[in-house]
Amino acid sequence: MHVIRELLDMQIVDRDDEHVGRVDGIVAELRNGEPPVVVSLELGFVTIARRIHRGLEAVAERMHKRWSVRRSARYRIPWSDVMEVNTHHVRIDVRAEETVAFDWER
Amino acid sequence: MKKGLQLALGILTAIGGFFDIGNLVTASQAGAKFRFQLLWALLLGTIIVILLVEMSGRLAAVSKKTIPEVAREHFGVRVWFGPFVILVLVHLMTIAAEIGGIAFALQLLTGISFQLWALPVGILVWLFLWRSTFSAIEFSTASLGLITLCFVVAAVWHHPPRSDLLAGLLPSLPSDDGAKYWLYAVGILGALIAPYMFYFYSSGAIEDEWDRTYLGINRIVSVTGMSFGALITAGLIVVAGMVLFPKGIAVDSVNQAAFVLTEAFPFWGFALFAVSMGIACLGAVLEVSLSLAYTVSQTFGWRWGESLEPKQDARFALVYTVGILAASLLMTLGIDPLRLTIYTMALNAMMLPVVSIPFLLLMNDGHLLHEHGNGILGNLATGVIVLISCVLFAVSIPLVLLGGG
Amino acid sequence: MTTRRFRLDDLVGRMVRDAEGRSVGRIYDMRAEERNGELAIVEYHVGSAALLERVGLSMLRLIGLHRITPCKVPWDRLDISDPDHPVLRS
Repeated sequence: MHVIRELLDMQIVDRDDEHVGRVDGIVAELRNGEPPVVVSLELGFVTIARRIHRGLEAVAERMHKRWSVRRSARYRIPWSDVMEVNTHHVRIDVRAEETVAFDWER
Repeated sequence: MKKGLQLALGILTAIGGFFDIGNLVTASQAGAKFRFQLLWALLLGTIIVILLVEMSGRLAAVSKKTIPEVAREHFGVRVWFGPFVILVLVHLMTIAAEIGGIAFALQLLTGISFQLWALPVGILVWLFLWRSTFSAIEFSTASLGLITLCFVVAAVWHHPPRSDLLAGLLPSLPSDDGAKYWLYAVGILGALIAPYMFYFYSSGAIEDEWDRTYLGINRIVSVTGMSFGALITAGLIVVAGMVLFPKGIAVDSVNQAAFVLTEAFPFWGFALFAVSMGIACLGAVLEVSLSLAYTVSQTFGWRWGESLEPKQDARFALVYTVGILAASLLMTLGIDPLRLTIYTMALNAMMLPVVSIPFLLLMNDGHLLHEHGNGILGNLATGVIVLISCVLFAVSIPLVLLGGG
Repeated sequence: MTTRRFRLDDLVGRMVRDAEGRSVGRIYDMRAEERNGELAIVEYHVGSAALLERVGLSMLRLIGLHRITPCKVPWDRLDISDPDHPVLRS
């Protein structure tokens, strides 16, 4: 799999095909003597801010503290929860209502 | 049967959403100042918009994704963010201009200042979006929008000289006031090739669950819908050319444009113009607001869809709510709808590279479109559109400054 | 076993240099494989061909450039202990 081309920025859906968000960032683990391993997918405005410009991350975090509805600034989905990755979406093994994605709707 | 209905609905929606304050202002100004000389700009813009709309529909039907979705996935959030911000800005300005259009139409009919109408209009528009489904909106904008055919009727009534019309379809140089001529040409193109048209169309195709079997319908809808819309715009140029041009009346405010129908429809021409303008802008504002909500929701991967209960896609609904509110407040401040429209159209034209270049790249992606990508002819046409876009990008701002808006 | 967390998206666009500090190319993509139930990064794609592959491969079909393959760096030849400054090991 081409991680940047096929995983990053893809739409994330849950078991019932509900939209959860997009892959805004990918967290990996660097290991001695072994290839790096993808640990989790990350979602959130703060993550996007960092990708646009490192300096914006701090700004986004401050904004989040003041105004946000969500519980956490960065939402991480462990790689073990990922069920499938195809050209259309990334499917994860949770129900969207349980995730941070629906904090707004609540 | 379902496809037949879709076809009819699609064509009507294309007509309904096509003609808006942008077309109205640029067409009446062009006709009043230069008679039929700028018909070529309308023709060029129509061809471009037909091609781009068809591509938007094809992309949605085959890849089952909308333009913002594909753009973010293909280019990454870093590259997409700049264009995204500009698109949001243009959408907001357009919403404000359309609300200004409805409010001004009410001013023409009642005498009460458009500033006082702006907020009530915004609330009405918002209520409609909050409570309706996608098909309800499609149907209403479609059927109501037919009233704009009055411009075509009036144009025919005036019996414009055919030779002059044909001469106008070919590009010509103006005898004087060159800056205004090219400004109006850019304005007409900007009014026709508005980003919200494609973004709304591609999301609409997904809302209506199009698939590969709809490619034929897509082609028919894009050609006939856009052509009919262009016909109505042409009607307005002709009427303005027959009524305002001989009298030397320039359209510096919408008030002057409102008289164009008074010769063909002596008793109710003024009111007819106002009603047409109001309804056209209403259809357009619904589309632009939805287009804004689609673009933002799809870029961030939120749940979206007009047919869902607002409870289920709160963020999607929040986007159009904030957009309409901000736009209404802006117009309450008393910004001249005409000026705002001209600046917005120029910005549309300037932004065309942002709209067209992604098409050039995306329509060739085999993973997305399988065997339905652009062929050599399609790429050639898109390439030409990209070139024209770059020219427009370079000249838009200078022309606004020179032409005096 | 020492481990450290870092972001893959931080690596995108970073210039890879060799031991002498010369520019090799920028990282534009990575290939990963499932190993023992984990997703392991096995290759980094570096250079302008990699960028074109990521964004515009589609267009290249027309010009015949698709035969240029990107520079692929195996995972053990790239030192990313400092993700902002990847270094090519010899």
